[in-house]
Parts: sequence; structure tokens; C-alpha cells
Amino acid sequence: MDGHIIVVGLGFGDEGKGAVVDALCHDGPVTSVVRFNGGAQAAHNVVVGDRHHTFSQFGSGTLAGVPTHLSRHVLVEPIALAGESRELAQLGVPDPLRLLTVDADALLTTPIHVAANRAREDARGHARHGSCGKGIGETTWYGLLADRGAAPGDVVEDQVVLGAPGAPPTVGDCAHPAVLRAKLDALARFYEPLIGDGPSVDDLVSLYRDFAGAVRITTGDEVGRLADRGRLVFEGAQGVLLDQWRGFHPHTTWSTVTPDNARDLLGHRPATVVGVTRTYQTRHGAGPFPTEDREVLARFPERHNDTGRYQGAWRAGHLDAVLLRYAIDACGGVDALAVTHLDAHDLQVATRYDAPLPATDLTAFLTHRAPTLVDLPDPVTWLETHLDVPVLVTGAGPDRTDYAVRAPARR
Amino acid sequence: MGHGKWDDNAYAAAKTFRAAKGIDDFGYTAALRSRPSKEWKADPSLDPKGVVARECRDSPDHADSTPIAVLFDVTGSMGRVPQIMQRKLGKLHGLLQRKGYLADPQLMFGGIGDADSDRVPLQVGQFESDNRMDEQLRTIFLEGNGGGQKSESYELAAYFVARHVVTDAWQKRGRKGYLFLIGDELNKPRLEARHIRRIIGDDVKQDIDPASVYRELSRKWHVYFVLPDQSSYYHDQDIADHWRDLLGQRFLKLDDPGAVCELIAATIGVEERVVDLDQALVDLAEVGSVAESAAVGKALVHVGGTTVATTTAPPRLDGPDDVTLT
Repeated sequence: MDGHIIVVGLGFGDEGKGAVVDALCHDGPVTSVVRFNGGAQAAHNVVVGDRHHTFSQFGSGTLAGVPTHLSRHVLVEPIALAGESRELAQLGVPDPLRLLTVDADALLTTPIHVAANRAREDARGHARHGSCGKGIGETTWYGLLADRGAAPGDVVEDQVVLGAPGAPPTVGDCAHPAVLRAKLDALARFYEPLIGDGPSVDDLVSLYRDFAGAVRITTGDEVGRLADRGRLVFEGAQGVLLDQWRGFHPHTTWSTVTPDNARDLLGHRPATVVGVTRTYQTRHGAGPFPTEDREVLARFPERHNDTGRYQGAWRAGHLDAVLLRYAIDACGGVDALAVTHLDAHDLQVATRYDAPLPATDLTAFLTHRAPTLVDLPDPVTWLETHLDVPVLVTGAGPDRTDYAVRAPARR
Repeated sequence: MGHGKWDDNAYAAAKTFRAAKGIDDFGYTAALRSRPSKEWKADPSLDPKGVVARECRDSPDHADSTPIAVLFDVTGSMGRVPQIMQRKLGKLHGLLQRKGYLADPQLMFGGIGDADSDRVPLQVGQFESDNRMDEQLRTIFLEGNGGGQKSESYELAAYFVARHVVTDAWQKRGRKGYLFLIGDELNKPRLEARHIRRIIGDDVKQDIDPASVYRELSRKWHVYFVLPDQSSYYHDQDIADHWRDLLGQRFLKLDDPGAVCELIAATIGVEERVVDLDQALVDLAEVGSVAESAAVGKALVHVGGTTVATTTAPPRLDGPDDVTLT
């Protein structure tokens, strides 16, 4: 198998993208894993023997020794990144930060964004969106304000603009303390009405300067340079059912989850898009879930997923072929599937609902659907047959040895 | 100075990034020791020469500042203790605030050597309440020499704090600051005028009795001497007698040099009467320092829970050439 691979989740996240990326990196020579969306809220589990790590900003190929590039579409949170680096070092990865390159244009998520995110989500009370509380949406929103020339009192994406926004701080700014300080001062002033006194700007400048010294910050077409050297594996975060354009509002993530960013980064280079799904459906937090079933939840307890303070409950239900098709369409089609949790048995799959998917207001529509369920004795064969897509990677357990990369992918 | 908040996560992150960058925790020491000893000198930010005063001032953010000065012996007899402390002291501010012992602690760090034989016998930083403390600790030069005459220039450091530190805590509120001297030897028999002139720059003509320096100091400061184990003279009775004479119950022996940060926090908590000794030890165990809390308990046990705060003036301080205090 050759060529670049784009790994995207076809559900609401938690499909097993981390283990799939690790399997692909372990399977063949890979130059780099490229993250193309999301930020520190990602939680991709990889288990190799007695080693387990929940990847958040580092790529899931790290335990296979593959470097990570954080592209300009990624939101970078250096404090969490340092913590993850220490965890990886404890697992025996030598000098994890040396495995990292970061695009200078990537936006910085700061403790100020995190505090603002939590303050807003707390204020929503029962109408919470299911945010992870890690400042991701806030980073994106603040980034939009300067782009759109927002002024105090404007409403941008349903949020009132509190004060005068400045340009958002980026990873590249970390190496330029004067620029960074000016942006952080503006950011702190902007959020003061919401969060009061945040962390000191001086502290942040000093910390981010150390960060800039520890990781390689790249400019220009780094993905192109890496791509010409060998295979890249693009690791998506979340699932396309949470996509900011194609997900079910308001229970979405402020990120383009579909392969669009990855394709854009690759220019015109060909790539295989691999969509990842479990053999059943899961969702973390609020939002529509037509095949949700308490019995399924009870049968498959989750070791690394539970109720998050900001995110909400862990939920499970039957595999949903209607949503799978919808997700694949949202991706503009996929070339292959990766199917995880094949060690789960006696499953069912929803083949259709009691009404066809409408073109608009999907959220309300999905909330009241009665799916038709059929038995699913052999998920791999069923999916290959009914979705007409080959299954490239199979996973039948949490460990790397439970994964197999099956056949050459089409380019 | 004195603005901003300290954050343990940020501290850990900065440390991680520096380690990855290849700058270890003692970058200044490493850089200087690779050069000939005649070029050794204190970093300008820590050089006491010509300093009018180090200030610990209130600010809008920190309206009730309390100065805490920690000056540790960096000579060879201390073994690896300075490194251990340098690593741990960065957490002190967070510990004090987390336990609610002080509202607005401001910390200053410094290094003490031997004025007779060292290139860098005294280093004193600024009072800080944010991550710049970490920078200060890393900039202290660990010279590691010393004279081998079982005495170091602690009295020179004490003189600097007595004469060249001004605090709002004292000037506005009449409240004493905290000075922790950490070492393992005796004071020099006399504080020599020529050393004061050369190292600090004060125009002093007459040698001074160290006891009078400590007496002056104790008007505005709670002064402690901490003798940590893994140093050369931990079991030496002369050392204990010398410091008990000067400071009474404020002479503390500490089994585990890694517990210095916890010892300082517990001592302050008890002195401020925020907690008694038992509660302080429970607090320490809670923050995950079980081994340290045991060592701290042992260090403070003969001091007792409430008697710490009652010693007002150390005994035997009237020296023959006591200087006039200003």
C-alpha cells in the first residue's frame, strides 16, 4: 500500500481513530502524522501491551515512533501539550517534543480561552452544548472576530462581542514576545468582563517563549515538504457527525471534521480517505441519537469514557447505517472503512428510519425517529456489501495486536 | 514586581519545554562553570553590589504583601542540597497560597558563599510573586567552593537583608517578614568591613559583630536557620549550639532536604497562627508530601505548635561592638 491516508471518524467521535492511526503507522513506513482539525480536546486511545496513552495533541503514531505535524487548522494549547509530553516520556518515548512540528499560523488556546469557555458553559445551565471545557470553541470564536472586523456590541455566531477584539495569538507569535504580549494584553482585556483577572500576561509570555524554544515552528508549505518525503497519515479529531457545517446544530464542534482541510493541505496530491466506525454507535454529551439504547450501553461499558464535567454523559446505541451514509456523503465519499470493536457480538444495525432524511432541520427530525433494526452477524461483510466500500483496517480489541491492516487501498 | 499569579501547571510546562530545549534547571551555573573561575560572577540581576534596596511592595493585586526571603548556602559542604532545593523552592509560592497561609506572599531567593575565598559570595534576587521566581532560582550560581574553615558568610547575607531590604509589610503595617537561611556551617567570627565594601558597596569602616547583625535583623524579620541533612555538618554539635545561641528555637534541623519548601510553608502557617503544627502536617500530607511532612514534623517537633511565635528576641545578642541601629 502506498500514498497518503486521511483518517476521519464517521460517528460522533470515539470511533477508534487513534488505534487505527497507530495500526497504519505500525504497518508501514510513515513520514509523519498530520493533525488537520481540533485541538486539545481530542482523546485518542492507543494501547500497546502494557502501555496506554490517550493522545490529545500528539499524533497517535507516536508510540510507533512517527513524528507529528500540527497543521495551521489545529488549535494548540502548550500547557496541556507539555503535560502530554511528560506522560509520553514516562511511557518510554525519548524526548517527545522533538517529534513535534507546529505550523506558525496555528491558533493558540490560552488559559484565558479556557476560563471563558467554562464561564459561558456554566452560564448555559441545562442548555449546555456538551462542550469539553477546553477553550476550543472560544479560541475559534475569538479568531473569527478580527477576521470579520467585529466591534463591541456586535453579535457574531450568536455571541455578543463584549469589547474590542484584537488579532488572535498564534504559535508563530510565541517566538516574538513583543507581538505576543500585545495580542495577549488585548485578549485579557477583551475577556475581563467575563472572567475577571485571568492569568498574568507576563507569565504567559515567558511560558510561550519556552514553548517556542522547545518545538520546531514551521512556516510555508510544511505538509507539502513532508508529503514529498513519504507517506503521511492525516489524523482527524472528533467525528463528521459533529462537523461545524454538516453536524446537527447546536450539538457540533467548531471545527471542519470532514477531510476538506486535509485535502486542502495536500494540494492536488492523491490520498485514500479512510472512514472509521465502531460496530455500534456512541455519543459523548447532548444531541440527537436515533438508535440510542440503554441495553447497548449496559453491554459495552467504556474504560476511558465516562461522564465529563463539561461534556455530559457517555451514551451508546445500535449501529446506524442511515447516519453512516450521511457521514460518508458529508466527506464527499470515502475510499475505505476501518471498523473497530469487532469483538462485540450479537449486534443490530438500523437500516432506515420511519421517514426519509429531510434537507433541512436535521436536528429536530432525528430527535423523534423510530429506526428499523436488523441483526448484524458479520459487520465487515455487511458494511462492505451495503455501503460498497472495502474495509481496510479491522480492530477487535483495544491493543495494537487486535488490529489488522487488510488490503491495499485504492488511490 | 509583585504582580501576577503563580500556576503550578504553567511552572511544570515551562520546565518541560526548557528540558526539551536542552536548558537544564541550572543553566546559569552550567554556563559559568565551563569558563575559567576568574570570570565567575553573579548574574547582574542577583548582584548585591550597589543595590540601594530590594523592595517588597503592595500592589493593587496584592494589597497585603508578606516578604519571604530564602537564602541558601551554595558552597561545597552542602553537597547536592542546593540543587535539590532549587528544584523544590519554585513550588513554595503555590503551596503557601493553596493552603491559605498567606494572602500575598512575595518571595526572594539568594545564594550564600564564603567572602574570604569565593568569587561569588553573595547573590540576592528580587521579591516576586509569579513565574519570574523560577527564573531567579535558575540564575543563582552554584559555585560549590567555600573555604573549608567550617564557616560561611551568612552574616553578610543577614546584613544585606537588614540594611538593604524595604517592605511595605513593615513600613505600613509593622509586620515582620520571613527570612530563611539554609546552610550547614557557622557564621564568620566577624563581619569584615572590607567584605561589605567590596561585595555590597556600603562605605563601612569598622568590622561588625555578627550577633549585632542578627539582633538588628530580628526587629523586622522572623529569622530561621535550617540545617538540612546530606550536608557535611548535620550531626555537628558546634553548629547546633552556635545557631541556637543566635536564634533559639528558630534553629531547625531537617532530615530530608527535599522537604525544605514544605518546612518553610509549615513554619509560616504556624507562625501566622493560621494552623497549629498538627494541622500543618495534615495539610502537607494532603498536598501529596507524606514523606516530606514526616521530615517537617521531626524538624518542628521540639519547637512545638504554638511556642514558635513567642520567641521575640534571640538571646545573647549584645556584642561588644554593637552598632547603632537606624
